[in-house]
Amino acid sequence: MASSRDDFVIAIRSAFLKKSNKQKFSLLTLAFLSILIIILSSLDIKLVRQTRNVINEIVYRSSFIVSYPENFLLNSIEDIVEYSSFYKDYEKNAIEIEKLKSEKISNKIIRSENEELKALIEDYSLTSNKILAKVIVDHNSPFLKSLIINKGSKDNIRIGTNIYDRNYLVGKVVEVNYTTSRVLLISDLNSNIPVSIAPGNIQAIVNGDGKNAGEIKYIKGNYLNDIEDKSIVYTSGTGSIFKSGIPVGRIEILENQDLKTFKVNFYSSFVQLKYVFAELYSKREEIIKEKIKNTETVELKTDNQNQYLTTTDRLKLNLLNEQIEIYTNTNLKLLNENKKLESKINNLNSQLVNLQNKITSQNKVINQNKVDTKELEFLKLNLIYSKKCKKNFTNPKGFKFGTKEYRDCVINKGKIQ
Amino acid sequence: MINLHKKNLIYKIYVWLPIIVLFISVLNEFDFNYLNIEYFSFNFPFMLIFYFTLKENLHFDYFLVFIAGIINDVVTGFPLGISSLSYVLICLFASYLRNITIRPNLIKDWFYFLFVISLINSINYSILFIVFSYELNFVYYLVNNFFTFLLYIFFTFIFNYYLRGLSE
Repeated sequence: MASSRDDFVIAIRSAFLKKSNKQKFSLLTLAFLSILIIILSSLDIKLVRQTRNVINEIVYRSSFIVSYPENFLLNSIEDIVEYSSFYKDYEKNAIEIEKLKSEKISNKIIRSENEELKALIEDYSLTSNKILAKVIVDHNSPFLKSLIINKGSKDNIRIGTNIYDRNYLVGKVVEVNYTTSRVLLISDLNSNIPVSIAPGNIQAIVNGDGKNAGEIKYIKGNYLNDIEDKSIVYTSGTGSIFKSGIPVGRIEILENQDLKTFKVNFYSSFVQLKYVFAELYSKREEIIKEKIKNTETVELKTDNQNQYLTTTDRLKLNLLNEQIEIYTNTNLKLLNENKKLESKINNLNSQLVNLQNKITSQNKVINQNKVDTKELEFLKLNLIYSKKCKKNFTNPKGFKFGTKEYRDCVINKGKIQ
Repeated sequence: MINLHKKNLIYKIYVWLPIIVLFISVLNEFDFNYLNIEYFSFNFPFMLIFYFTLKENLHFDYFLVFIAGIINDVVTGFPLGISSLSYVLICLFASYLRNITIRPNLIKDWFYFLFVISLINSINYSILFIVFSYELNFVYYLVNNFFTFLLYIFFTFIFNYYLRGLSE
């Protein structure tokens, strides 16, 4: 019994401590070194960060070079497949182009309408500044859905920079080195996107499913039954993680017995991304951020309570303050306009009264004229037919001068009724 | 078989081939992910490290294995040191098995390998989930574990062929 324990101890000792032929370090030393590195990488120290950045730069470039033959081979196969179906694709594309041409016109109209509406509500219409970035490492790992692009802090890329494939959302930057960055794809399990679902403007959160799609994990309010199949999903901009209005994908409702799940099929396919667009911070965003920074420092100086607020809370508060400012400005504008309109209405009312007076006086004149013309007519006829209508010895059937009957008789040209 | 002079450059490359392949595999993530077969992935470095530590290859430097782990972490985007620890632990277990084994048996090695990779993947998952709060799909780990175990036999034959070439 004792000898077997001794054997075990000897085996353990030789495995852990003994440096066999040509080994520079014992395994125990390396294990401790690994644990030390894990601890250091969990701490946010500048020196560790910088060292990590240098390692990242070297490894990403090396990985790109090492992956080149494999990528070349895969691309060649792809090219061959593409060439074989070239004519069919051409025919398909020709039809599609015709369709797209007509859609483009309607899109232009919608875009201009949208811009007008945005201008009406004084929304932030930020001018986006996108740069093209090449995907240098994309191993499509089943554990972490990420890729490496050849743009880094040198090109003004920052953590949180939105990444696009054409106009569709692909992910955001989670790690920035000098010339390279790591992009966490929206299909990753760790990815959470605040979205709006149209129609209905339902607010929700989409999580990556770890494959190539997403799933709705949280819906604000009880709107589960309001979501339709093929509904459009776009970013809501909540939490300032992603810019609002970026197309994400379409809903696919999967019903498994009583369980209803909402799958999100992303517009962009992450399988073969070669180039992506990184959205840089525009000057206006910089100004807004600067403003937020300034207000933060003022707040910190004046109010000690604000020290307890988290940065995200402060950002939200600042955004809300800005919104209130916008609303008060628009209210003031509307009030001024109202005042102007009121004075205008008063002026118009007085003008109306004047005109009505004029009309009544003119009507009176017209009526008078009418009376005069009737009287003139009567006098004319009276000269001719007075003998026939006037009562005297020769005409006993006549009427007394000045009576209504006499007048009627004259107007009727001497005919006695 | 390969019959090369010991000072020849090709011979030197051949001698260092396991380490070269290990570095290429960690830089390139040699696991056929681009085939896009759902629920199919395996960990080639685990097999390579386990086999060559078990066979006590003279040119299989542990420090280089440790560096390969660091590279793997950078490529996959995991916190630094996770893969290094995994690789060093595989070396440890393999080294222990080598020390207690008098008569090597492939099937025994194979099941011992299953135990080792299951343990290491569990440690790996636990560290990532508990310490670094990573959201990971446990099914992928199980699948990866299963295929790594399954393909070990296949790669063992290739590695044996390589070792035979080296001894000759």
